[in-house]
Amino acid sequence: MIGQDVIVVFVSLFILFIALGFYGKFWRRGDLNHVHEWSLAGRKLGTTLVFFLIGADLYTAYSFVAIPSGVFAKGSLYFFAIPYVMLTFGIALVTVPRLWTLSREKGYITASDFVKDRFSSPTLAIMIAITGIVAELPYIALQIVGMQAVLTVMFAGSVNAQTVEEVSLLIAFVILAAFTYTSGLRGATLTAVFKDILIWITVIAVIVVVPISIGGFGAAFKDVKPNYVTLPSSLVPAYGTLILGSALALYLYPHAINGVLSAESAQKLRRSTALLPLYGVGLAVLALMGILVYAVPQAMSFLSGFPESSRGILVVPSLILSTMPGWLSGIALLGIFVGGLVPAAIMAMAQANLLTRNIIKEFKPNLANNSEIRITKISSTIFKFVALAFVFVVPATYSISLQLLGGVLIAQILPAVFFGLYIKALKKTPLIIGLLVGIGTGIYMTELANNFGALTTSLFNTPFGALYIAVIALALNLAISFGGSYIYNKASRKQNQSN
Amino acid sequence: MGMNINRKYIVLALLILIPSFVNLGVPIYNRDLPELFGIPFFYWFQTVWLFASAGFYIAFTYLKGKDT
Repeated sequence: MIGQDVIVVFVSLFILFIALGFYGKFWRRGDLNHVHEWSLAGRKLGTTLVFFLIGADLYTAYSFVAIPSGVFAKGSLYFFAIPYVMLTFGIALVTVPRLWTLSREKGYITASDFVKDRFSSPTLAIMIAITGIVAELPYIALQIVGMQAVLTVMFAGSVNAQTVEEVSLLIAFVILAAFTYTSGLRGATLTAVFKDILIWITVIAVIVVVPISIGGFGAAFKDVKPNYVTLPSSLVPAYGTLILGSALALYLYPHAINGVLSAESAQKLRRSTALLPLYGVGLAVLALMGILVYAVPQAMSFLSGFPESSRGILVVPSLILSTMPGWLSGIALLGIFVGGLVPAAIMAMAQANLLTRNIIKEFKPNLANNSEIRITKISSTIFKFVALAFVFVVPATYSISLQLLGGVLIAQILPAVFFGLYIKALKKTPLIIGLLVGIGTGIYMTELANNFGALTTSLFNTPFGALYIAVIALALNLAISFGGSYIYNKASRKQNQSN
Repeated sequence: MGMNINRKYIVLALLILIPSFVNLGVPIYNRDLPELFGIPFFYWFQTVWLFASAGFYIAFTYLKGKDT
């Protein structure tokens, strides 16, 4: 059982979090009946706020729980998350400022808005909107899995632990839905700053306290298996393609694009993007905890009370509880907990924008402005509770499986969204076929790699070693998009000449 | 800026390509020695490289300047 001091700090900080969320409505006041005011905070966020907002978007409760969990169970392979976040910001620097500039000029709120305008193709825009909504859902579910891990550790040993846990999550989500409804992205931004401060306190505390309590990092690495020290050479292709595929996919997620478009200028967006790899240091420290935990007997004996499959996600919360003073544990656990709420809010908001602007409005083009904003707000609330229901109904491992698939799917919108920004020769029909083939082969290879059973891997065995399926499917998709556009352009040139 | 336009774009491209090449060149850092505070090279190098990447990206941002 945990001490009262943990609970007191946890609950008081959570109340502060709620207050900030609701205060967002009055912060930098704007007319929240406009979509760009509600979901992009009026496109007025400067370098620091974009840094915190995208930081909160990308380094989530799930990453702080799942990456250490993967390292704990599988070793060095899961450290790919570190070079992947580095690479993704390089890719973002050359792509998203251009998307920002076009969006400011033409009033885009989503990537689908851009695609529809650029290729004059509602079909392609709707397909991209659907891909975004589907890929985002398990991502929200995983935030909840991360939050659940915190609560599981906190309530371990108490009676009715599971009921208490579910009621707590439900309350947290009702509050989250209420302040997102009233404050929009402003509430999310303020709470993101708050969450990031708590996370950084946690990371600094972890890096000081844990190595000291076990007598240095060396002690932990002495007794682990070789695949925890370096990468087995058979996994090098997997590591490389996981870095590449995840890095290409990250900024295609609707919530990432939502964060990008809320920046005040392209230059401020670039500045904050350039600084974001520094946030990865925190992720690296927490990832290492997946190895260090083996040298902390208290944490290991606590973990042994849980089934083996669910131990991984409990590594960081139980390390925190077993090595830190109560008040500090309270801060750290709340940091991870709200680290799930903030991105969940932004993700649901981004899904709602896609649904309203790119699907509903496509069929009801005369939708009035105030109906549009109302539908957006309501659907963002619904998406949050759909994800919550999903977590309550199916085991956590399903959410993790679907998230693997989500990454494969979202990568397939890359040709239209990123290359569409720069390459004039691309045409809509080859892009549509490429997207369908990418998604089809991606799903099929994922099923094949898992023998049509529960999804546990997104790696596919090829003559070059195991490769990340998102990269293989994207290669096919790109070949069709570019090859098809080339043939199309050549044919239409010939036709013009003969005319 | 006095710099030749083409040269500026080559430097900009390198500022993104160099850290990316190191990131994707897994065999470059897939080794256990030398250790730092008892941490194998594989882990500490990638962590330290986060700072280096941020340096490259900040240089990119300043060189790019205000143009879009």
